[in-house]
Amino acid sequence: MSRIGVFICHCGENISRTVDVERVALEVGKMPGVAFSTDYKYMCSDPGQNLLKKAIQEQKLTHVVVAACSPRMHEKTFRKAVEAAGLNPYLCEMANIREHCSWVHENKEEATAKAIEIVGMMVERVKKNRSLPAITVPVTKRALIIGGGIAGIQAALDIADCGHEVILVEREPSIGGHMAQLSETFPTLDCSQCIMTPKMVDVANHPKIKLYTHSEIELVEGYIGNFQVTIKKKARSVDEDKCTGCGVCMTKCPQKKIPNKFDQNIGMRTAIYVPFPQAVPNTPVIDRENCTMFKTGKCGVCQKVCGPGAVDFEQQDQLIVEAVGAIVVATGFDLYTINEKPKGSAIKGYGEFGHGKIPDVIDGMTFERLASASGPTGGKILRPSDGKEPKQIVFIQCIGSRAREKGISYCSKVCCMYTAKHTMLYHHKVHDGQAYVFFMDARTPGKSYDEFWRRSIEEEEAVYIRGMVSRLYQKGDKIVVMGSDIAVGVQVEIEADMVVLATAVMPQKGADTLAQKLGISYDKYHFYSEAHAKLRPVECATAGIYLAGACQGPKDIPETVSQASAAAAKVMTLFSKDQLEREPIVARVREAGCVGCFACKKVCAYGAVEEKEIRDRQGNLIKVVAYVNPGVCGGCGTCQATCPSKSVELDGYTDEQIVAMIEAL
Amino acid sequence: MTPKNIMEYSYYPGCSLHASAGEYDLSTRELFKTLGIGLTEIPDWFCCGATPAHNVDELLSLSLCAKNLELADSVEGDVAVACAACFSRLKTTQHTLKENETKRKQVEKAIDAPVKLDSKVKHLLEILAKDLGLERLAAAVNKPLSGLKVACYYGCLLTRPTDVPNLDCTEAPTIMEHVIEAVGAETVAWTHRLECCGANFTLSRPGVVIQLTNAILESAKAAGADCIMVGCPLCHGNLDIRQKEIEGVYNTNYNLPVFYLTQLVGLSVGLGSDKLGLDAMIVNPTPLLKEKGLL
Repeated sequence: MSRIGVFICHCGENISRTVDVERVALEVGKMPGVAFSTDYKYMCSDPGQNLLKKAIQEQKLTHVVVAACSPRMHEKTFRKAVEAAGLNPYLCEMANIREHCSWVHENKEEATAKAIEIVGMMVERVKKNRSLPAITVPVTKRALIIGGGIAGIQAALDIADCGHEVILVEREPSIGGHMAQLSETFPTLDCSQCIMTPKMVDVANHPKIKLYTHSEIELVEGYIGNFQVTIKKKARSVDEDKCTGCGVCMTKCPQKKIPNKFDQNIGMRTAIYVPFPQAVPNTPVIDRENCTMFKTGKCGVCQKVCGPGAVDFEQQDQLIVEAVGAIVVATGFDLYTINEKPKGSAIKGYGEFGHGKIPDVIDGMTFERLASASGPTGGKILRPSDGKEPKQIVFIQCIGSRAREKGISYCSKVCCMYTAKHTMLYHHKVHDGQAYVFFMDARTPGKSYDEFWRRSIEEEEAVYIRGMVSRLYQKGDKIVVMGSDIAVGVQVEIEADMVVLATAVMPQKGADTLAQKLGISYDKYHFYSEAHAKLRPVECATAGIYLAGACQGPKDIPETVSQASAAAAKVMTLFSKDQLEREPIVARVREAGCVGCFACKKVCAYGAVEEKEIRDRQGNLIKVVAYVNPGVCGGCGTCQATCPSKSVELDGYTDEQIVAMIEAL
Repeated sequence: MTPKNIMEYSYYPGCSLHASAGEYDLSTRELFKTLGIGLTEIPDWFCCGATPAHNVDELLSLSLCAKNLELADSVEGDVAVACAACFSRLKTTQHTLKENETKRKQVEKAIDAPVKLDSKVKHLLEILAKDLGLERLAAAVNKPLSGLKVACYYGCLLTRPTDVPNLDCTEAPTIMEHVIEAVGAETVAWTHRLECCGANFTLSRPGVVIQLTNAILESAKAAGADCIMVGCPLCHGNLDIRQKEIEGVYNTNYNLPVFYLTQLVGLSVGLGSDKLGLDAMIVNPTPLLKEKGLL
């Protein structure tokens, strides 16, 4: 005989405003099997939970129903409390009388009646719940980090310093990401390379970090604690073990005019190259599309001059499988190429700024390369068109960002600060120059950020004009900037020598494809989604996968590093145990009824259904049935709904329970 | 017997084409006749409300266009529109009423008929470039406009408002260039093809219009254009009628004939001055066309 306890929460006034909770408690108390019912203002609070625990012990309760908010909110909380009181946690269910009732109704009488019915259904369901033992799965204590920018590097170092092995995969030939491209960083103006490159070296030298550069994720299988990841290591055409990084191959390569992506295509590189001199690893790669040897079969100069004989034209792409227990996604961002209008996208592009047509209209990252001491101009601010020093420079913020009608409604977060930094770098290098900034708002929340922005105006003489620019066009060797100054209410025209656009921060191209391989969700812009915006900001909804950096949304360096360390901490929490406990709400196959049609296998989104042979004592095969791997099962119930012979059921959601709930109505 | 037309359209000329832009109407009818495209004027059509109506009373403006669309439905074919403002208003009406059911119900009550939300409204440029197609257009040419450097001027309304599906990209359109290059002319790359000419401020604030229109003429001249091509009667008015006055104000000399697109395309298919209304142009195009061997 069940002795069910029902606990009804007021949720402050959230529930009690429209539901007469006392009457619910009274009515529910009369239901068969209910031994105890009560209400309380905040059931999830400490006194609320104590009330529940005390009642379980004093009333010798066998099952519990908490009528409160959505189980997504507090099911875990109450199951923990029930467990602490000595009951199996899966003998506790929640009746959602907030989202499903009080929030959506106005009439108190009707809402109360509905709340009683909702609770009644859960009472019938919980009666048929059985105690479930926790499922444990082993944990492989190795982490995979996807992306070798500052986020990936920080997470890798933190995890590796804790003694766990780390596999770091980077798409480009070198780690470093966008941070390696920057000149100075706000708000302190310390050189990006100076703070970044030592960390890159640490990664390369760390005994616990295995680095795959020029590599991509091909396939991800498995589940939390037990992932199998296939990595495609693209052919470098240079043997990493033999190469000493002397660089002779690069000095002798006859192909010298290939735009270098690392320098935003304003600097040139050779066909065998490292993206930048401080690259890690310092092993060149042959760009097969532009290499004469690969195009015509005649050249091979690099191979001839290579002392250690490291150049290998025959090298093939390799597929490598690594077993890991956790994955940190740190794929970072890309800048909006505003003259492109991606097909089938809501993004509309900006033809009016002449980006891509007027050579001296550049984006913020290109300006970073011009200002960088290691950049193509050696740190001199020079126009890409004629190499002259620009004396009037215009910066335009919010290009793409915060423009709903153009397809992007979010703020890119870093542009206000880096534009302020750009005006300073410009002022330091071109003493007789004048910088103008068109801006909508200056958003400077962050430690020492507003002070930094004020400095660009008060000490570094940047002229800030509040308003947007409608059009840019070339007039002789000037660029006419047509804009408005909304503070004064006039139209403004500036004849500039160079224009820098603070283009929107967007996810890396292909972010959606990677998400599909990983089975994680993303928003309409293809930024990856966290499990909870406030309380689980570094975890994906998919267990065992964590996020770090701008792949989740625009972020600056301090925030990226913080999140990377947070993701690393989450991974280390997972690795702190040898066995991992999982929710035991999984599907079970009734082997006697299973006919082996494997309809369940076809619909299972988690790949949890396996084929199991049933043999008699002599070893003769009797039949093949479905088996649900409890370590992989996500508990979604699709198999249960699909099974034609009703031979698979999800614990807590059996057909018997669903029917009992309907009958209670 | 005249051969059967290859396409049929329901023609909405708009008020200007029956008044100050008579040559646009004439050249449109003659050109389309030559190309074998049928234009049947919508019976009893009336003003689309243009810029004034939607500034004063949105319901009135939407209802005027909705009623015109209903009338257009009585004639076979998609709706062909010559004027950029009429085009923009008709498209905007369809878009607005598709998005907003409350407004649609109000308008349907006002015109006492369902709104034709899905009838296709097309500017002449779209008909030439897409429906007829550039290849067929080029095949009809017997007097290519070789050597004529044309500045294609879109003005504001051909590609706006941005959120209404219109005939080309708002900020970097190319359809005019494609059409005129198909008939043998050269186009110039210039900076002011999308700037506003001041439009109907020409009556209330002529000073503003003179300043804005001058910038357009100056830019076209600097780019080496021989003439300007337009698809809007109001732009035409400002660029053509006010040109002499602007030259006086700025003490300069542009001498840039301003053609409607149908006039230039008409020339290329062999239509004469009388069928294109070239004599109605204020800036005389004859010397230029003679110099290029086109007259």
